[in-house]
Amino acid sequence: MTDTLSPPTIPESLKKAREDFPILKREVNGKPLVYLDNAASTQKPQSVIDAVTRYYSQENANIHRGVHLLSAEATAAYEAARGKLARYLNAADESEVIFTRGATESVNLIAYSFVEPLVQPGDEILITHMEHHANIVPWQLLCERTGAILKVAPIFDNGDLDIDAYLSMIGPRTKLAAAVHVSNAIGTVNPIERIIQAAKAKGVPTLIDAAQSIQHMDLDVQALDCDFLVFSGHKLFAPTGIGGLYGRRSLLDGMRPYQGGGDMIAHVSFDGTTYKEPPSRFEAGTPHIAGGIGLGVAVDYIQSIGRNVMQDYESQLIKYAANRLKNAPGVQLIGEPTHRAGAISFTMENAHPHDIGTILDTEGIAIRSGHHCCEPLMTRFDISATARVSIALYNNHEDIDALISSLAKVNALFG
Amino acid sequence: MKPDLKSLYRDTLLMHSRAPSNRNPLPDATTSAKLKNPLCGDLVSIHLKTENDRITQASFEAQSCSICMASASMLTEKVIENPIQEVQTFASSLIEMISDPEKEMSLPNNDLNALSGVKDFPSRIRCATLPWEALLAALAEKMKGKG
Repeated sequence: MTDTLSPPTIPESLKKAREDFPILKREVNGKPLVYLDNAASTQKPQSVIDAVTRYYSQENANIHRGVHLLSAEATAAYEAARGKLARYLNAADESEVIFTRGATESVNLIAYSFVEPLVQPGDEILITHMEHHANIVPWQLLCERTGAILKVAPIFDNGDLDIDAYLSMIGPRTKLAAAVHVSNAIGTVNPIERIIQAAKAKGVPTLIDAAQSIQHMDLDVQALDCDFLVFSGHKLFAPTGIGGLYGRRSLLDGMRPYQGGGDMIAHVSFDGTTYKEPPSRFEAGTPHIAGGIGLGVAVDYIQSIGRNVMQDYESQLIKYAANRLKNAPGVQLIGEPTHRAGAISFTMENAHPHDIGTILDTEGIAIRSGHHCCEPLMTRFDISATARVSIALYNNHEDIDALISSLAKVNALFG
Repeated sequence: MKPDLKSLYRDTLLMHSRAPSNRNPLPDATTSAKLKNPLCGDLVSIHLKTENDRITQASFEAQSCSICMASASMLTEKVIENPIQEVQTFASSLIEMISDPEKEMSLPNNDLNALSGVKDFPSRIRCATLPWEALLAALAEKMKGKG
């Protein structure tokens, strides 16, 4: 107990991390900002902000089009970002990284372009009970269109996935096995390696929702051997409105376009149109160029700190936070998963999560209260909302200590 | 300026949220409506029993924060034994009073003034108005049935 309660030491490469994020210098309601809502969106380092500013002030032009210098520079910067992401995820080829608006659009793209042409009425899509709405609703829409069936693998009371149940549900009619890597609501880390292996053995394609895990862990798509992996840039210290997906090239090659328009075509005529190869086939229209460039710089930023360093430190900090919360008066943790990353959900005996959030906000502490876009998960725990604390690499034990002190104020008002 | 927690969580409001009035189902309700705030998941149902264009009984059920709970509790106390039409006018004007930052909230001798604290906490305005919106929905539903 004593070990987990002592605060983690900040490693050398993270000691100055807070200074890299200008927003952390601001005050909220007269108190220094304590930002513990990183599962919703992370803050941006100065280098990302500068890259976006530089693009608009020095390089702004459309990509993949003009012969002029600005367009060439913008194209090079945008494509360089794709390369950085491909190396970050250890994709076999840069063309396996497709830019989208974020994880949500990525799931919708995979549903439309890959899964839908494969399914017959009665075929199945498999997910878990702890998915974000972004990995539920696109499948419900697909089921409505095709007559496919959405199967949901159960979870245990501690917030762990019932992995045996999940694996047993991969059957002859399963057309996709999908799972969230790290739960945004309760922090559970799912055994995606086992899911991918089992699905692969049965010839079932896999989709991993890495929206949360990408900011906390080392991801290697070749080692994982997944077919698709989706993520959002703004949860990785990059701008909003940009994200992407990794897709195995052999699958991407056979997929139909998601949207039609400029930049995704090989040749257009009124007699028929042909499409470019991946990734362009799935990137119709002018993309969020500044966002893509910013995402590349965000990846550089994490590499400069070291993903393993970040992962080790964060896993100690989240344990420290879970332990302190668990021992705080009136606090009930929602989900105590065997492996946790990034987030902790809790409720309090006398105060609703919404009230907790407001009281903490007056102390400068930003947390999330609500259903976290995981209503089925909330229903599973027989609650309508939780208060959620979620960390990123710039958080420290003082942030957690400030949170715990402020919870005493919640008790004083509502206890 | 720092918003004042004491003005949000006034004693009257805390009292209603801790020990709400009429928080129960109403099996012989004439009309009901359930509303949800999709932002936070707060869920409130308003049940009404009406006779001759008057509300004779009112109750609510809620899974909600303290502000929504208190607002619903005060609502039931306020509307019982009042003509439907007056209640509708009052509910609409109250929602406007709470939501519009330009509007003052001063109801003579009324517990409902305790809800005015949300004006300094814009993310909590809907918590206060949700039960009143449900009330209006329940009454609209009743009118539809009549027509």
